[in-house]
Amino acid sequence: MHELRIVEDLMTIVRKVAEEKGLKKVTKVNISMGKLVQIVPSLLEAAFNEAVAGSVAEGASIEIETVAVQLRCRICGKTFTPDANGFECPVCRISDIDVLNGNELFIKSIEGE
Amino acid sequence: MTMEITIMRNILDRNQDKAREVRELLVSKNIMMINLISSPGAGKTTLLERTLETITGRFRAAVIEGDVTTDRDARRLQRFDIPITLINTEGGCHLDSHSISRALDSFNLDELDVIFVENVGNLVCPSHFDLGETFKIAVVSTTEGDDKPAKYPMIFREAKAAILNKIDLIPYTNFSPANFMSDLRSLNSLLPLFEISCTRGDGLEEWRKWLEEQIAGRVRT
Repeated sequence: MHELRIVEDLMTIVRKVAEEKGLKKVTKVNISMGKLVQIVPSLLEAAFNEAVAGSVAEGASIEIETVAVQLRCRICGKTFTPDANGFECPVCRISDIDVLNGNELFIKSIEGE
Repeated sequence: MTMEITIMRNILDRNQDKAREVRELLVSKNIMMINLISSPGAGKTTLLERTLETITGRFRAAVIEGDVTTDRDARRLQRFDIPITLINTEGGCHLDSHSISRALDSFNLDELDVIFVENVGNLVCPSHFDLGETFKIAVVSTTEGDDKPAKYPMIFREAKAAILNKIDLIPYTNFSPANFMSDLRSLNSLLPLFEISCTRGDGLEEWRKWLEEQIAGRVRT
């Protein structure tokens, strides 16, 4: 359900940038989303389609790029992607990690005229 | 002519900016703020009651209650005679930094050591919204099943400690402590875990001791 709130904040940015850049129409919004972010893309898309109605982005499409998870072990420094063993380092067999990629939720760009 | 404008901004910047402001304010007032996150019914309010019973003797505490529609949780805490502010989210599934900032206005921050925030019962949404808290505590209970860490990894990565409540009910459920521990440890091997029963009292001493150490050690030099 937080997809609605996220789309509200997204639209605030879209409207502001469109106005600053003098766009009459926004046709596409490109966002990037890490795999650890618990957002349902179809719900986000549905909320977006509702939110653009009557705005500068009416009828715009949204493209959601997914970013794979990349972790780094705080003990040995190894960079790895999680598997069936959760977030355990394949070398140390312990999970004490930093998330390098996978937590992203950002707007990359908008397209329009 | 169609053109592409590069933005590269965090979508939740508005919440993040306010959270930063809240965090700076709390640091300047030397207050610790603890964000309690769990599913509905895991026992956050009862945990708060058991915690406030002893902690109010040593520290000046306040509570921000996040509730979807009612004031029932806030009313349960009235007996402690501490400042309590209720935030009704009117259906919203999480608290955000703007509502916390407004709630803080109702407290005298010069007279507080610790603020407990009881977030809306939900393991997904609240973990996305930084409130400006000092740290998060993940609360789960045995009656919810042993698969919560595997299903909601984000909160178990971000929390400073986790609480497993209702351990007295394990014999009546299919909760497997071994499965729970194995999933939890594969996500976060070093996360402090307190196995407690708020009704029977198991494990509460260890939890309170740890918490009091955190509050006492909050002074930044």
